[in-house]
Amino acid sequence: MKLLTRLAVGAYLLLFFGFLLGPLIIMAITAFNSSTFPRVLPWECLTFEWFGRLANDSRVLEGLQLTAIIGVFVVLLSLLLGLAGALLLTQIFPRARATYYTIVTSPILMPGIVIGIATVLFWDRIAHFLGLGRDSVFYHGIFLTVLGQSSFIASYCMLVFIARLQRFDEGQIEAALDLGATHVQAFRRILLPFLRPAIFSAAVIAFLASFENYNTSVFTLGHFSTFTVVIAQKVRLGLDPSISALAVIIITATLFLALLNEAYSTHAERHPGNPLRSLFRGGVSGFFASNPAAILAVLMLAGIFATVIYATRYDPAACKAEVLRKKLEIQQRYARPPTPQAQPRQNPPPSGAPGRSDGFGGVFNPQNLQNAPEAPAPTPAPAPAPPQKPRDDGFGGVFNPQNLQTAPSPAQ
Amino acid sequence: MPTKSWLGTFYTRNGLILGNCIILAVLAWILLMIVLPQIAMLDFSFSYDLPVYKQGGPEDVYTLANYRYFLFGYAGNRDGYNYLDLVVFGRTLVAAVFVTIIDLVLCYPIAFYLAQVARGRMARILAVALIVPYWINEILRAFAFRIIFGASGIINGSLIGLGIIDSPIDFVRENVALYAGLAYAYVLLMVFPIYNAIESLDRNQIEAARDMGAPWWRIHWRVVIPFAKPGITSGCTIVFMLAAGALAAPQILGGPSSLWFTQIIYRTFFESVNWSRGAAYAVILLVVCTLFVLLMMRIFKVKLGEIGR
Amino acid sequence: MSAGVGIELQNLTVSFGDFVAVRDATVTIEGGEFFSFLGPSGCGKTTILRTVSGFQEPSAGKVRIGGQDMAGIGPNKRPTALIFQNLALFPLMRVWENITFAMEVKGRGKAERRRRADELLELIALPRQGEKYPHELSGGQKQRVAVARALCAEPHVLLLDEPLSALDLKLRQHMRTELRTIQQRVGITFIYITHDQGEALTMSDHVAVMREGFIEQVADGRTIYDDPATPFVASFVGENNCFAGKVAGATGNEVLVHTASGPLSARVGTAAQGSLKQGDDAMVFIRPESFRIANGSGSGAGRVTGTVSGEEFEGPIYHLFVGRERARPIKVSLVNQGHARSHAAGEEIVLAYDPAKAVALPKGKLAAD
Repeated sequence: MKLLTRLAVGAYLLLFFGFLLGPLIIMAITAFNSSTFPRVLPWECLTFEWFGRLANDSRVLEGLQLTAIIGVFVVLLSLLLGLAGALLLTQIFPRARATYYTIVTSPILMPGIVIGIATVLFWDRIAHFLGLGRDSVFYHGIFLTVLGQSSFIASYCMLVFIARLQRFDEGQIEAALDLGATHVQAFRRILLPFLRPAIFSAAVIAFLASFENYNTSVFTLGHFSTFTVVIAQKVRLGLDPSISALAVIIITATLFLALLNEAYSTHAERHPGNPLRSLFRGGVSGFFASNPAAILAVLMLAGIFATVIYATRYDPAACKAEVLRKKLEIQQRYARPPTPQAQPRQNPPPSGAPGRSDGFGGVFNPQNLQNAPEAPAPTPAPAPAPPQKPRDDGFGGVFNPQNLQTAPSPAQ
Repeated sequence: MPTKSWLGTFYTRNGLILGNCIILAVLAWILLMIVLPQIAMLDFSFSYDLPVYKQGGPEDVYTLANYRYFLFGYAGNRDGYNYLDLVVFGRTLVAAVFVTIIDLVLCYPIAFYLAQVARGRMARILAVALIVPYWINEILRAFAFRIIFGASGIINGSLIGLGIIDSPIDFVRENVALYAGLAYAYVLLMVFPIYNAIESLDRNQIEAARDMGAPWWRIHWRVVIPFAKPGITSGCTIVFMLAAGALAAPQILGGPSSLWFTQIIYRTFFESVNWSRGAAYAVILLVVCTLFVLLMMRIFKVKLGEIGR
Repeated sequence: MSAGVGIELQNLTVSFGDFVAVRDATVTIEGGEFFSFLGPSGCGKTTILRTVSGFQEPSAGKVRIGGQDMAGIGPNKRPTALIFQNLALFPLMRVWENITFAMEVKGRGKAERRRRADELLELIALPRQGEKYPHELSGGQKQRVAVARALCAEPHVLLLDEPLSALDLKLRQHMRTELRTIQQRVGITFIYITHDQGEALTMSDHVAVMREGFIEQVADGRTIYDDPATPFVASFVGENNCFAGKVAGATGNEVLVHTASGPLSARVGTAAQGSLKQGDDAMVFIRPESFRIANGSGSGAGRVTGTVSGEEFEGPIYHLFVGRERARPIKVSLVNQGHARSHAAGEEIVLAYDPAKAVALPKGKLAAD
């Protein structure tokens, strides 16, 4: 390849992956910056306090719990439906196959909100038909969300099962029957063990899809809040780096699991048949030999431990005091009375955070300065709360959904 | 009759218990979770928004009122048409098309590179690098863009620092953040189908074309793209439908002038609590999106069956 | 081990839509015998096997096993065990688990099953291989495991679907003997299907030759070879020279047929007795080994003349090809007695044969058609 082409390709790749990974890296960095609005520049102090705040955030934790519960139900339901759907597809008579396939994969292409709305409306009708009221199960957020999500997640599972089933030798079932097994026995002893890898993949896919679902859940949850809904609310109402901290945790966990997965598959490739057994037999060294993913995974784990230990010992108080002092200097230089802006989220500093109480009522909080070198934090955000933001749509912003949120509470 | 003997074969093959379980499960899925809910939504969209005690009564008849509202607004609307909703709807569609095109242009090269050029380890690493961002929640991804494009975000910060601009650009207002965020969200969904399609292209065809002296752009235009058309259509369909139906990104990254149609549906449901109208709008969204996609497929001459994942 | 049980097919017809795979087949198979269905691909033998095992419903007719009508009885309830062409061993189970699957299905305990597995592994000469997985075995070993698995189900009838077709020659020959030995030791009825006549003839007590859904002949190997019932059987089993012509005269069991190679006398095949009359179209079949090179002149009812067109030396046997008009060369197989002389191409030659060894049958379809 010519040098110019090479350069062009290289530049493209760099830009592309910069675009792809950049935001994540930046977001990760902001989690460690002590500034209350997530930012990278200017860098104030290294701190781990946001992780602490996150751990104490009951809404996030409750959201996680609900997400997990819903996830489990969705996985179970989707696996069942997906498997049944796949089995039927392999056996249905050819003329109906195309139509059947279109119907069961259609939920994947449907906009999430349409599925959510349709689910809510349908069960509302059912409840009516049965003469039940708003407190019946047909209006319950968990019930509706599980059903709404499963309608398309089952399609994903079905696709996984279809792929696996195509490699199945139907003769084995016949052999089992021929040897005296009942259909259920043949299914349990022959087909299910064969499907095990697919069941696992489908379960993982289903859980992840349920975990990160937003569009459908937002309509079906009612007054419940899953993890994604909680985060969405936080992002719209109160931006602070605890969200970045959350992102860092998720990214790290995902990377680690990905490394584990890669390490396991490399290992499984080299020990076909029963990789788990050979893992225990071959011992630790056998596992790591020329398995870079495994080594990286362990390094990562070590790194995480080290960081955590460091974090518990580290106290940014001194650094923060220094930063504060510098800002006071700048402020005095401009000799303008600091006007406390209506920045409800950034001020006053939440009482629970360590080292933040500066006793001045937040007056010297850098974000409160109008002419600080960095622009006041909330402006760039699609400011949901500050009502003085001019509205272009001619209705005085009445119809903007963000404006209808309740007053943002600072301590999220 | 074929169905009768098919049923017989089906039960012979699966036994009574399993056979019934399979049929029941699939029927329940199709009816209770796919077909009937859509019918319910249609039904709602053609009904008046009545309080509970009036439902089932004499006022509960079918009507086009909700669709009329979408077009003409409330009764006695001086403007004649419901410009607010119509404009938002139009803007959403246009924006979705825009995002689709951006993604196509952005992702085609990488898909081609991965499928035909990259080798072995490099390919795997690139693939992983491509997939990793998608394990992060879409909300967090939108959040990341919010940070970057903010007035004190890194983009503005570096631009100011480099002296290119004096005061921060309000990317949000210019909808740049939203487009970037949406394009970002669906990169993987555009790359994957195109990658699949191009991967099955015989490398020799490209070689042959190059041998005949074709410049790179012609090779793509005449050899690669026609071959990858199903993949491209697949990717564009998915991205368009997802972009038009996106809710989180507009909520988080949208500025005051970029209200998304999905947001209108959202508030119709939860704030105006007008389920019938919300249902009608949802139906409009679904139908128009589907028609649009079918139309595009007809124009670019791709059959439905070719769009396989 | 259970005693062998007889199978009856009564006017069995199996069709798939418009295609009729088996037409009106009636066969009686004795208990404890080794019975083969022989025929080219697509003749319906696999369909019969699947119908007997219960995987295929007959369109008409009955299947009786041990006198009991099998209509409506599923494959898992029949006293049959099928060994599939691709064996269908369970890849995720060990060999011993594969073998004792039938017991596991009935709920037998693990210890009991292991014991039985060891017994059967001895029987099939694979001792101590129980812990392996099927993919670790060779083709022949997998074969034997499949047999052991089927036997463990204690069937009254064992059905084998071309089990040796995937094996190489030496292994095939070895397995032939193995299977026959196992069958005789165990004593149950074996129904074996194959397109290889060598297998069918060496292993079986009786053979049913099939063509396009029809059963052409059911008899023991010798009869099939020496006394074929139809031209198809005559030409399919072993090599045979076919002389087509018209019946000139019939005396008792003998006929004289005027053919392109001259008048030939032959005995009428047992199945065709009474059906060949003067003027009928007939085919005379003479095996290559029935010819000898004659001295003297070339006329008479037991002689054929022709020109040598080729020669093949095979060691203990050598073949001569004698050309004739509008037909394939006559193949003559002679035992190498040590003084075989080479015959040059183009040489005139006179062949003689014993009319008792020639079979005359009404004209019909040949195997090569």
